[in-house]
Amino acid sequence: MPRKVKYGVDFDIDEEDDDDVWTDYSDNESNVEVEEIENTFKADDCTKADDCTKAGIWRCSICTFDNDEGIVACDICGVFRHPMVNIHSNGNKEAAVPNKFNACPSDDFVSSSNHFSKVTLKDNFEELSSSEVVRNKEKLNVKPKTSELESSFVQLEKDEQLSICENTRSSAVEAKSENMMCSLDKQSVGADSKCSTNQIKAEIATRRSQYRPEKWMNGNQEGTLMQLNLAIVGHVDSGKSTLSGRLLNLLGRISEKEMRKFEKEAKLKGKGSFAYAWALDESAEERERGITMTVAVAYFSSKKYHVVVLDSPGHRDFVPNMINGANQADAAILVIDASVGAFEAGMDGSRGQTREHAQLIRSFGVDQVIVAINKIDVVEYSKERFDSIKGQLGAFLRGCGFKDSFLTWVPISAMENQNLVTAASDVRLSSWYKGPFLLDAVDSLQPPIRDVSKPLIMPICDVIKSRSVGQVAANGKVEAGALRCGLKVLVMPSGDSATVRSLERDSQPCDIAKAGDNVVVCLQGIDVSHVMAGGVLCHPDFPVAVATHLELKVLMLDVAAPVLVGSQMEFHIHHSQEAATVVRILSLLDSKTGKVSKKAPRCLTAKQSALIEVMLDGAVCVEEFANCRALGRVFLRAYGKTAAVGIVTRVL
Amino acid sequence: MKIVWKRYDKNGPGSVKMIPEETDDLWIAYNLVSRGDIVMAVTVRKVLREGASGGRDAERVKLKLEIKIESVDYDKEGSVLRLRGKNILQNEHVKIGQFHTLEIERHRPFVLRKDVWDSLAVDALQQAANPAASADLAVAVMQEGLAHIFLVGKSVTTTRSRIEASIPRKHGPGIAGYESALNKFFENVLQAFLKHVDFNVVRCAVIASPGFTKDQFHKYLLLEAERRQLRPIIENKSRILLVHTTSGYKHNLREVLDAPTVMNLIKDTKAAQEVRALKEFFDMLSNEPDRACYGPRHVEVAHERMAIQTLLITDDLFRNADIPTRKKYVDLVSSVKDLGGIALIFSSMHVSGEQLTQLTGIAAILRFPLPELEDIEM
Repeated sequence: MPRKVKYGVDFDIDEEDDDDVWTDYSDNESNVEVEEIENTFKADDCTKADDCTKAGIWRCSICTFDNDEGIVACDICGVFRHPMVNIHSNGNKEAAVPNKFNACPSDDFVSSSNHFSKVTLKDNFEELSSSEVVRNKEKLNVKPKTSELESSFVQLEKDEQLSICENTRSSAVEAKSENMMCSLDKQSVGADSKCSTNQIKAEIATRRSQYRPEKWMNGNQEGTLMQLNLAIVGHVDSGKSTLSGRLLNLLGRISEKEMRKFEKEAKLKGKGSFAYAWALDESAEERERGITMTVAVAYFSSKKYHVVVLDSPGHRDFVPNMINGANQADAAILVIDASVGAFEAGMDGSRGQTREHAQLIRSFGVDQVIVAINKIDVVEYSKERFDSIKGQLGAFLRGCGFKDSFLTWVPISAMENQNLVTAASDVRLSSWYKGPFLLDAVDSLQPPIRDVSKPLIMPICDVIKSRSVGQVAANGKVEAGALRCGLKVLVMPSGDSATVRSLERDSQPCDIAKAGDNVVVCLQGIDVSHVMAGGVLCHPDFPVAVATHLELKVLMLDVAAPVLVGSQMEFHIHHSQEAATVVRILSLLDSKTGKVSKKAPRCLTAKQSALIEVMLDGAVCVEEFANCRALGRVFLRAYGKTAAVGIVTRVL
Repeated sequence: MKIVWKRYDKNGPGSVKMIPEETDDLWIAYNLVSRGDIVMAVTVRKVLREGASGGRDAERVKLKLEIKIESVDYDKEGSVLRLRGKNILQNEHVKIGQFHTLEIERHRPFVLRKDVWDSLAVDALQQAANPAASADLAVAVMQEGLAHIFLVGKSVTTTRSRIEASIPRKHGPGIAGYESALNKFFENVLQAFLKHVDFNVVRCAVIASPGFTKDQFHKYLLLEAERRQLRPIIENKSRILLVHTTSGYKHNLREVLDAPTVMNLIKDTKAAQEVRALKEFFDMLSNEPDRACYGPRHVEVAHERMAIQTLLITDDLFRNADIPTRKKYVDLVSSVKDLGGIALIFSSMHVSGEQLTQLTGIAAILRFPLPELEDIEM
């Protein structure tokens, strides 16, 4: 029968530490009785009637004649039996499995197998067979050539795993006779594989640049609007939720019936003015207290965009929630309370959320902001008030790094429905305001740039567990690449792979989700506990890094306490948060030129920028900012304030 | 700590017999015992014996051993002190020079002999013997989906439990999941609270969180206590305090200890003093950076100019140091005191001490600004 000697080589491209297992085994193998091996195999679900292992017979490697155990050379062609080891192993061919993986030359092998050790083999064997399966899983390109195998193998070849086991063994039988030649080959292959593991890092980098998106990713979706993630931010009680609720109501996303229900319930609780906010503040706790606590997600469509509203909490205790929930924003509406005293409170240095939110959205990477000056009705639609707020806030926003051309100023009144989806109807406002109304301003935003051509990255914002067993859905914004049903994805940080079962956008099933889309991804084939908020779905060939030690470039905001080595802070990155300690302050940077102005400073104070190293209590998924912006932006908080914002420069 | 007898000369040799009574006392003992000291205690050792037939049998024998310490190990979770060293007391089972490890637990008397009882060791001993300053406090620091339960003792803070849960977002299909996940999370915290908080030991229990999580949990706790008739909670309702913090991580414990309500309860204790001093240091560093310094080099220079008002130093530095270094630090502490300054020795088992350890373990608030420190290499 023809033989495929090369089989052994095909298997052996693993790293060398696997070889230890095999060597171990070969040390002991001669001591083992056939029954024991077979039993272990049974325990491993690899049971089979293995005619091949009939004691007392060995097969000639040249003519395949079955010779008697006692004969040293083949009866038919006179070829010597090789290697000699098999005399000890009683012609048991399974025992020869390790031969082909053993990288040592065959004469070494013979001598090692000759000494009898008293170790029981069971553990070894289990280890061996499990690693065998693993290694075979990796080698998907090995196809069983059943025609070349014994008929006894063929009949059993149903189960995939069985066939893999079988395959290993049958090839072992073949490889055995050509042990010398094989091991030579293997050595070279082994060396190759070692090289390649050493170069994996470099390879990933080059591969990333070589990554070509598949065709379906670039296809234009007809009839669907581009998604725009719009964060609604601002000081507490400036009317963010009310504005969102009003917009949804006006655009037909909340029916009149629901609205009447909210109104009635809100009145019963004595909070009549909160009716619109109730559309977004759904939990009992939020309604009772009348404040938003976590980011609420809602959808509406304008002429140009399919808008995902991220209604964030304004209260300063919930800024962490705002960071976690709204950092995927492409653009933002900054809601300002125009009433006397309220705007000033929002701008107050230590307590005002207007300042903190503006700085945060800037560091989310948002550059286009619509400043909605709300409650303009309370100040009698005064142009002076509008202008004075615009003057003060404009100066501050410029200081944060926003460009004037990307700022739109819109006076609105959410309660009185002025200037929201149509031009203002009240003469007092329309007499002096000629600019766009709010929805118009949303439509005039520049479409954000998307990284469709990069490998998939989707940070998980929220996990929805369905009651049916084994189904879990991840919600988040696709930051790079694209997704479609049936695609295999890697779920980090657990490193398990899963299959996309279905995709949903705004509760509507869809086929493809591209970078920038906020979607719900139903996953299949993964344990529910391995999918968690703060994780990342990524391309199987391009896993994101999971790290605890990072080098950051940070910009200090107005902090009360200075940051020094040993400072403990809360570290926020995409949707996860962790406690962090500053372990080193590397250098102080000049905020204008970015050059190192001082090495190893004692501490960092307000408005300085610096390179620091932090150590996290738990690992997070992270990428260098240069590779992926969304996974490289970080926020450091301490004492309930955002102390610093920054980017990841190195994963250590 | 109970001191049975003491015979020593200040800054000279001597020995003390003591019985640790609380877990904190073991920590103090850990700081007292250093390499080269001699400890005598009753211990149990497995002794091999050769029988008449040549067979060996092992027997556990209770012995009194005196060992010269080579290494000291403190087990925070189990509250055990392990002292390893060579035997120096001849005995029928153990030869001189054989290694033995003494395990010191609570209520186990031992005699500690030191060549030098420096002022620091004497102070530590006196402090330990004063039982009034106990500050036992149970703290549950939480935020939605994360909770820690701590016991804050005189000089040790232990993390008793950490509860983590993933809470789904409230909007859309997850709304039902949100409520149930939150309730389940509260239930887990409640169980941990019942298990770890013993109102006979702690002065009060603090629930701390940002936002309303503390109120929600407090309500849940009282409701469940009523429903399940949990006596310890019902009877001690008034001893549960609510404090605002900015997140649920361990380092927020400093905000709890700093809160006025808690501060009133623990104000004379070491933990409170430490928190206050560290806060002062940070305030100084941000307002007048020239009047605060850290790192051994800077502090030394500041001391040479007699500028130190308050010295902050962790016990870590004394423990790990060899004798000359320890002496140097002891001298530093005493000379700061002599010059009218305050020296605070932080326990590295408290949050504030942990933070100070990160900051090289030594820091100082100065009497007058020393801008030239900035130019000296750390």
